[in-house]
Amino acid sequence: MRVHLRFFASLRELVGPEERRTVAAGTTAGALWDAVVRRTPAAGKVQVRIAVNERYVDASQELSDGDEVAFFPPVSGG
Amino acid sequence: MAELFAIDDAPIDTGRLLAAVGDPAAGASVLFLGTTRNENAGRRVTRLEYEAFATMAVREMRTLARQARRRWPIRRVAMVHRVGVVPVGEASVGIAVSAGHRAEAFEACHWLIDRLKELVPIWKKEHYRGGTVWIGAQQGGPPAPRRRARRTG
Repeated sequence: MRVHLRFFASLRELVGPEERRTVAAGTTAGALWDAVVRRTPAAGKVQVRIAVNERYVDASQELSDGDEVAFFPPVSGG
Repeated sequence: MAELFAIDDAPIDTGRLLAAVGDPAAGASVLFLGTTRNENAGRRVTRLEYEAFATMAVREMRTLARQARRRWPIRRVAMVHRVGVVPVGEASVGIAVSAGHRAEAFEACHWLIDRLKELVPIWKKEHYRGGTVWIGAQQGGPPAPRRRARRTG
């Protein structure tokens, strides 16, 4: 299945703004993050938060075809 | 008046925020503005630069406003966060709350800015004399330059 990855702030600078990947059915948000870190080890230092289709999820969340998966560092608005 | 929850690169229009919470049943309107301060953790800040996941940020703002309306008997909420460069002294975030009475308007507004800082996907990059740093992306932050001796009196 196809998923759309997006990265923000310090992660965007490390990894790039977005990419599309094909992943196996049953892949979790956390497993997708692990794959990102394998390719860009520096990203592993970031305390990542994950949102699927604009809602916060746990790393154990299973992905569905067409999901938009956003990875970002701790927020710092205000 | 139309509701107002937005991410915007223009300077924050406080009149628009207050107009958006206008309500004949309100006896109080509270407006909070967060502004770029010229120092942080001992660093001389020259400007802040904000980035947002805009669609999710607006969704989270609406969720927080709904939660605030369940917790307090308030009338209306409006929230705007600026993105891009925000110079020292200018507002990066504005929250307005109207209510029948001032106590709940103050409390809800305080709660909303605290939750926004925890949950809404917005990030600030601090530009200070000598470098830049993403705030929140690292534990502890870069070493602060040694403080000048504190003035007395």
